[in-house]
Parts: sequence; structure tokens; C-alpha cells
Amino acid sequence: MKLAILSESPADEAAIAVLAAAVLGGPFERVQPALRARGWPNVAQVLPAVIRHLHFNTLADAIMVVVDSDDSPVHTVRHDAPGYFHPLCRLCRLRAIFRQTVKNLPPARGREGVLRGAGVAVPAIEAWLLCGRDPQVSEAAWLNGQIAGHLPYTRAELKWRTYGTDRPNLPHEMRCAVEAAQRHGRDLRRLENDFPGFAVLARDVRSWVGT
Amino acid sequence: MSHRNAGSWPGGGQARETTAGRLRARLASDTAVAQTGRVIASVVFRNFKALRDARVALAPFNLLIGPNGSGKTSLIEAVLRLCALARLPLGIPPADGRHRADGPEIEFNFTAPYDGLEATLRCVSENVCDLLQVVPRAGALREEDWTGLRSRLLRVRSYLLDHYAMAAPAMLANGTELAGNGGNLAAVLAARARAQPAVFAQFRAEVTRVLPEYDDLRFAERTDGTVELRVRLADGGEIVTAQNLSQGTLYTLAMLALAFDPAPPPVVCIEEIDRGIHPRLLREVRDALYRLSHPQATGLTRAPVQVIATTQSPYLLDLFRDHPEEIIIAEKHGRAATFSRLSDRADLAELLTEGSLGDMWFAGILGGVPEEK
Repeated sequence: MKLAILSESPADEAAIAVLAAAVLGGPFERVQPALRARGWPNVAQVLPAVIRHLHFNTLADAIMVVVDSDDSPVHTVRHDAPGYFHPLCRLCRLRAIFRQTVKNLPPARGREGVLRGAGVAVPAIEAWLLCGRDPQVSEAAWLNGQIAGHLPYTRAELKWRTYGTDRPNLPHEMRCAVEAAQRHGRDLRRLENDFPGFAVLARDVRSWVGT
Repeated sequence: MSHRNAGSWPGGGQARETTAGRLRARLASDTAVAQTGRVIASVVFRNFKALRDARVALAPFNLLIGPNGSGKTSLIEAVLRLCALARLPLGIPPADGRHRADGPEIEFNFTAPYDGLEATLRCVSENVCDLLQVVPRAGALREEDWTGLRSRLLRVRSYLLDHYAMAAPAMLANGTELAGNGGNLAAVLAARARAQPAVFAQFRAEVTRVLPEYDDLRFAERTDGTVELRVRLADGGEIVTAQNLSQGTLYTLAMLALAFDPAPPPVVCIEEIDRGIHPRLLREVRDALYRLSHPQATGLTRAPVQVIATTQSPYLLDLFRDHPEEIIIAEKHGRAATFSRLSDRADLAELLTEGSLGDMWFAGILGGVPEEK
């Protein structure tokens, strides 16, 4: 499996690479490791060009894209109804961008197209990293907080809980991210259960097997 | 603005201190500054260049953005002027009438334990500020307060790095602290390597992590007393002299040298911190400066350094999404310039759902862009 990863920071990418290997059940070949975006909405802006580039200029089998939801609406089962599209939901947007970009691409380099893996960390990847360590942190807790108008925690608090500071330097951030991802990698069930935004990504990745 | 008499305590700025008093003042100020991470609380400009009536509150870390001529450099120059005049005895307004009541002046307020003092630079013209007055906000002035503050101001440093100067060999004896243009970078690093090998080892590890194309730093001492900085390529081991390093590499080395200074100044001003540096390395620049301003975040126990920096990079600005309180926007309308804090915008959270800070800045939504006619 030749896989490209597009996310918001080197630390996010490092964690996602570990999680990808865990879902795939083994190592993969990283394609174009220098891909990077500068957070949302830059991910959405560059994604079409990235997909086209991977399709025509590389041998990538698939791309994984993971973004933070920040304060945007959380993707729910309702969004998965046929024909439904929430314009502010980042997962809906990523999927739509992917769909629109690949639909008219001709086959290239011996394959039909680049496969999609899209996930959204609610509200930020630090929540995924804390999953299992901090029982208060879950996608449901954030969603309930959005509905009630009282968010259970802030993104800055998640940084504090994850890194011990809200100003982690890059090596520290990467170290914490990889350690947490490796912990999840031993058993992904809790992360998939508590964070549907990761579960949909894992489902995408598993769907590649055998394609 | 009411001008107070600067000569309100005997001796003016001439230190008349005992060793014990100096130690007590130093310990008290170190403790206070360690808590606040600031020395200068705010600066108020009146009739100074484009800053006709401008106030800026300063945080432990301050990144100034704004068009050319909007007062970013004026703020740094004002701090430097304050520090330069702090070396001299405090002034009493001369009776020659050169310092008009409505003339240019710059007022400084400080953090505890110096929050009882107010310093005012009075200027003959926009280019000549030659009178420093320091007065207590209330009650009698305590001489040790000015002595303690003065000792900190004398250690403030400002940097406008010059890659030509940095690349040149430097006098080995001149390696105590980094010069304003970074011109003695080789000497400073060589001195640290010799006197504080453990600190230097940390610095070298950070350099090779941030710039992985290199795996070591070397120093070539010459018979004329100078030292030349060299780096070794990780791939092949070739030695590259500083004169063959890129501008961005030299700027990065200087920034890291500041961040790993074992005894940093209480305030550091740096102009154009993004200059010559690849956008993807700007995170490292930010982290390096955070190491100064928020040492506890990297496990350091020393007192924080107040950082005042400028940039013109939207990419660097993007990295401050979580800390908009650290961004100062300099605006220029006609001939008048003002400062504002990004975090003071009521609609900031909403704006950030629509785009990155850098994009918002470039679009003009945040202000801090050149005027167009």
C-alpha cells in the first residue's frame, strides 16, 4: 500500500501515520511525505490539487486526510443520509471535494484513481490523543456541549492535558502524539467508539483492503 | 498628560546602592519577573513620528504586524532609547525650552515590582529624545526601585540580524553576548562551546534537528584572534564555512543561539523574525522564541524573557491562532499610526471559522495593511 497523508502539522501527520499502520495491520509505504497544509480551510483549498498531483504524478494508492473540527458542526449519522450535505461540516466538505475532484479524472499509472480516507478530529487531534486517558474527552461530550451551549473543554485545555503546556515545541508535540497513537494502535476499539470522526477514517482505510 | 518633576529623589539615576540592597532588589525582581514574564507593561506615544496618540500594552510575547511605516520599528527604537538613556543620570528638564510640553514624548509603564514607576522619554524632535524622567506613581520614590529597573533595562537587547556580518569571522574575545546584527555569532558560539559545553551540546542538538542537513558545528580559530563558524554536512561530512551558508540558515542559527542563551536578557527585540526563513521552518522560529518568553513550557526554570518581534509573514501569523493576545496590529491612517491587540476583536472567533489568520490579515479584515488610494 502506497499512502499519502495530508493534515495540519508534522505532529498530526506522525500520529496519523501510526494510526494508519495500525488500521492497515502493518507498515505501508509513505508517498510524498512533504505534503502539508496550514490548517482549515487551507486543507480544503489545496486538497483538489493534491489529489490530482497524487493521481497523475505519483504511484499513491490512497490519501488520508485528517483535519480538526474546531468549532464547526460535528459530523453525525444524519449527514450520511443519501444526498445529504452539511455545508459547514468538515467531513462532508472533505468528501465532497474528493468526489468532485476525482469524478472526471481518467485512469492513470495503472489504477482507476487515488482512494480516499477522510477523518475529522473533534474538536482537535489532541482529543484523539487523550482518548482512554481522560474519560471526560469524547466526541459525544463535545457534541453534547455544542447542543447545550456549554463546551466541556477548550482546545487550549486539551493542549494542556496532552502536552502539559499550551505552547509545546514541535519535538515534544510529536513525541506525545506518536506515543498516544502507538497506545491506540495496540487496540483501536476505544478510539473508534469514542470518536466517530476516527471510526469513519478507519472504515475508509479498511475498505481499501482488497481493492 | 501631566509631566511630573523628574528630580524628585536625590541622586537621580546615579546608583547609590549597597551590595545587600542590590541583591535584595535583584532577588525580588527576579521573582516578580519570573511570575509575570514581562518587564515593560505598556508604552504610550504622544506626537512621536506617526504615533501621534498611541498606546500598546505588552505581553510576555509580542508579535507586531503592520504596513511599513506604521510604528513597529518605532516601538523597538523607543525601548532602545529608554535603555540608552537609563545608562545616564536621570534628567531634569532644562530651562532652555527645548522640550516643549506638547512635544514628542514616550511614556513607559512597568510590571511588578517596578509598577510603581513611570518613565517618560521627552524629545526635542522626532529624532532626538534626550531626556529621561522617572517618577513614582504614588508616594515617595524608592531609590532601589529605579536601581533594580535600571539594571534590567541596561540588559535589554535588540536584534536586526545581518547575514553578511554573521558569516564573517569574529574576534574570539568578543563572544560574551550576541551583537545586535549577529556579527559575532561565531565568537559567541565558540565561547559557549568552550565555557559551557553542556549548554552548547543542547544547542548543537537543536541545530541539527532543525537543520538536519548538518550534523555538527565547528570553529576554526585563526592566528589573528578571530574565529570562523563552520558546519558539517550530514551527507558526506563536507565542511561548509559560514560564508557559504544561506541567509536563512544563518538567521536560524542566530535565532537558536538567542533561544539557547544560558543567561538571556530580560527583554529581547527582534526585527523581521521570518526574514529568509522557509515558511515550514517558521514553527521552529516561533518555538525558539517561546523558549525565551515561556521557558517553563520547555521545562526550563529561568526567568522568562519578554520578546518584542516584528514580521511581515502571513504564514508566521497563522501559527498564533491559539494565542491572538500575542499579536499587535500596527495601523496607519494618513499620517497617524495606532496599535491594537488582535485578541481585542470581538468577532475573532467567528473570523477564524472562515480562514487562517494570515489570510485574514492579507485580505485586510484584521487591519495592518498598507493604505491604498
